Amino acid sequence: MNSWTLRLASRVSGLFRQKKAESEFDYEMQIHLQLLTEKFIRQGMGPEDADSAARRQFGNTTLLRQRHRESRTFLSFSTVFQDVRYGLRVLRKSPGFTAIAATSLALAIGANTTIFSVAKGLLYDRLHVAHADQLRMLRWTEDQHSAVSGMWGDFEPAPDGQGMLGSVFSSPVYRQLQAHNQVMQDLFAYKEDSMNATIRGNAQRADVAMVSGNYFNVLGARPQLGRAIQPTDDALPGAGAVAAISEGVWEREFGRSRAVLGQTITVNQTPLTIVGVNPRGFTGAKNTHHSPDLFVPLSMQPVIDPKGKNGSLLSDSELWWLNIVGRAKPGVSDAQVQAALDVELAAATRATITVKSGETVPRLVLADGSRGLNYAARMFRKPVHVLLTITGFVLLLACANIANLLLARGAQRQREISVRLALGAGRGRVLRQLLTESLLLAGIGGAGGLLLGYLGRNAIPRLMSNGWRSTFDVPMDWEVFAFAAAVTLLTGLIFGLAPAWLTARTEVSSSLKENAQTTTRRRKGMGGKAIVGFQIALSTLLVVGAGLFLRTLWALDSVDIGFRTDHLILFEVSPPMKRYGPGKDVQLHQRLEQGFAAIPGVEGVTASLSAYIANNMDNSDFLVEGEDRAAHQRDPEDMNAVGNTFFATMGIPIISGRSFGPQDTGTSEKVGIINQALAKLRFPYMNPVGKRFKTGDDWVRVVGVCGDNRFMNLRDAPPPQFFLPWEQMPEVGRLTYAIRSDLDPAALAPGLRHVVQQADRDLPLADLRTQREQIDENIQTERMFGALTAGFGVLALALACVGIYGIMAYSVANRRNEIGIRLALGAQPGQVRGMILRESTWLAIAGSVVGVGAALLLTRLVKSMLYGIQPYDPTTITAGILVLLAVALAASWIPARRAAGVQPMEALRHE
Amino acid sequence: MNTNKSEVLQGTLDLMILKTLHALGPLHGFGIARRIEQVSEDVLTLNEGTVYTSLLRLQQQGWIDSKWGTSENNRKARFYSITRRGRKQLAVETDNWERISGVIGRVLRLEGGKQL
Repeated sequence: MNSWTLRLASRVSGLFRQKKAESEFDYEMQIHLQLLTEKFIRQGMGPEDADSAARRQFGNTTLLRQRHRESRTFLSFSTVFQDVRYGLRVLRKSPGFTAIAATSLALAIGANTTIFSVAKGLLYDRLHVAHADQLRMLRWTEDQHSAVSGMWGDFEPAPDGQGMLGSVFSSPVYRQLQAHNQVMQDLFAYKEDSMNATIRGNAQRADVAMVSGNYFNVLGARPQLGRAIQPTDDALPGAGAVAAISEGVWEREFGRSRAVLGQTITVNQTPLTIVGVNPRGFTGAKNTHHSPDLFVPLSMQPVIDPKGKNGSLLSDSELWWLNIVGRAKPGVSDAQVQAALDVELAAATRATITVKSGETVPRLVLADGSRGLNYAARMFRKPVHVLLTITGFVLLLACANIANLLLARGAQRQREISVRLALGAGRGRVLRQLLTESLLLAGIGGAGGLLLGYLGRNAIPRLMSNGWRSTFDVPMDWEVFAFAAAVTLLTGLIFGLAPAWLTARTEVSSSLKENAQTTTRRRKGMGGKAIVGFQIALSTLLVVGAGLFLRTLWALDSVDIGFRTDHLILFEVSPPMKRYGPGKDVQLHQRLEQGFAAIPGVEGVTASLSAYIANNMDNSDFLVEGEDRAAHQRDPEDMNAVGNTFFATMGIPIISGRSFGPQDTGTSEKVGIINQALAKLRFPYMNPVGKRFKTGDDWVRVVGVCGDNRFMNLRDAPPPQFFLPWEQMPEVGRLTYAIRSDLDPAALAPGLRHVVQQADRDLPLADLRTQREQIDENIQTERMFGALTAGFGVLALALACVGIYGIMAYSVANRRNEIGIRLALGAQPGQVRGMILRESTWLAIAGSVVGVGAALLLTRLVKSMLYGIQPYDPTTITAGILVLLAVALAASWIPARRAAGVQPMEALRHE
Repeated sequence: MNTNKSEVLQGTLDLMILKTLHALGPLHGFGIARRIEQVSEDVLTLNEGTVYTSLLRLQQQGWIDSKWGTSENNRKARFYSITRRGRKQLAVETDNWERISGVIGRVLRLEGGKQL
């Protein structure tokens, strides 16, 4: 142990043995005095003289005792208590200051706590299973020559720009990897998909996880009731008709009844027996926020979710669709695992599909599996980080604001502090007292902030999710609490230290003499102005940022979508393949269309393959008759399969030719309609109506040209697009219905559901929403940014306003004397007012120029989040500067008037 | 600035106490004060209370140790003794002190020589 730690240890132990040490020391001093007195008596003094001589020689016992107490431990509790009591009294004495400071701090800390809790939930929370950190997910990269062609799952450009990154494998590849895996603990596989489920007679869309038999075992999830899916359930394809349900379903559908075990539900028309209820908080291996409703054995896939050539994907080598996860083995490094499994993957790929010469096999990538596929993090990483930065600026601004107010107040308290210094308080003690006040203030603000954070923690997820799907709740846990506490402490130190330091430096002699104040005042005035300038710069930055995000939102809102978005209600109907094979699904949709159209209040009905502005699209190859095949061979165009009444219902104009009609049936000539953009691109300088194109195996005649509309989102310009009537298709599967009606969706819903129920009791009507809601969802990130940055911008302006007012009012109060002389010498009140306003204007200009500089540097980083506007947009920047100037003028108006109203005689007499 | 003549240089008292404990073995505070008084032959006067501040400081550094015991006239008293680390520190400090006082002495002699 070195001496530093020894000292620390003795001081820490001093915290606990205060009382005993004190009484021992008292005894020691007492004995010493006694011995000294006895010595003096022996030397011939009288007892009283000896006593006082001993005291003189020993020194001041009280002082000594106190010094000992202080050096024995960090702080003595009594003095801290004293500081706190005094600090509270000071804060209570100026309620206005305390209210402004604490409120602004509470808002800033609240905003930070909220954004932090969301960031933590979205980006950093792990799966709710034991030792989630051991989980590894298998992924792969491939180049453009990859032999793997069929994929059902996520697929994205690799982060390093080298090829594509995917995380799904074929079932035969999974079996082979599992069999040959030596480097990880057992590998499990799963696939989550949305299916129709009927639970207690209630048909609904349900998220279903199809899982390998070892899934629950490897994850270490023990059911809270019944049993989990076991390897025996997953033994034979088509066997194992059992399901484990999530706690959510158990609560929602069964009221937590223990009689749930053994009950039957149907999933895509297949009856399954409930065998267990998953543990509380379990969300599966895919994501951290909400659980699939049902878990079924992978062996049921061919029955409940048939796909591919013969329905079963279990033996299909072509389609890659399974996610694979396992636990790391202790002592085996990730690099070793990746190298070993890469060899296995290459072997398994070559063993299951034919790899032609020139084609490559995917390379295995071992990824972190502790957060599942982590979609939320990938989607929201940038927005959340931008928000964290913005709230950080707001906090800095609030700190600057309070520092400024404290500085001005410190100057007012110079006399008080001089008196305390003169009466013998140490500078350290005064500094500590002032810091205690700051920390108290920070504490009040922090408590308020924590409360705001707690109340507002679910506001952001609400802003980021839509009305018709489940959202996630942000838990308030000790990490968030620790974050808020740390931020509070830090802010207290940041805004308290400099003013406390400056104030405690007060010279006793000079400041007790009133007229000697001028020398120190100038220095502090400069400090205050620098802080206000900094505040203005930060506010400019935030206001410009808010301006950019609001303009983006307005630009998106005023985009011409190309169809009528009002009074349009959307929902999905997905006939399961098992009951509705090719042709039958088309008939079902025809029946449904007629049924919906007959509901009173419905003005138009149409079903289509893709909903618009829903972030998805379909495309298909498109070859114009007579066109050079090579030029456009691999050039698919966006397409939508629509009903006969689509164009009328959506309000998309037919420019030339005709719309689809009852004459277009499954047996008549195949017809299509193209939009103007496609006409321009693929039929330049000619009338496309009557021409033919080939898509799939069919030749299709163009019967009309329609107007353009946006497809996936509001940002991208309307793409070239062609339309085919689904009534002419052999099979369609899931369609999105659009109903035009003046009625409220809630009023219409029972009638719509009734029509579906009449057709099929097990068929759910899913995702009921209006087209407007659909659009809002599509731009919810922009909406959230608009709302939050505008809020923060207003907060910043308010803080800047307080700052400017504070510094100018302080400056005017200090210059009363000078202003009085000016007025006495003949200055006009207007000139004095102008002088003050000029001062604050210069301050605002300097601050906002710095702020614009910072904005130019920073807004470039959010360029990808903007729409219809450049990061350096001159209008927004100019508007930002003007707003700040206006705020500066408004805030200094009252001090300026006060300055102009100074009575020279009074001001001079006062001095 | 406080310019009290009798003030013992900061750190000097610590050194003197260390040396005293080294030379005489365990002592109580009163004994230390007496010893310093005796050795300094009344050149230095000090508030004897500061001895205790110094003792606390030395103890926190781990250079001395203390134990309760009985004094020569049968009173309960706290006895201070130097530790091994204290001995090492004493050697270092003594060295330091001799070097510095040597330098100061030389400088003072030099100045005196010039003035002559």
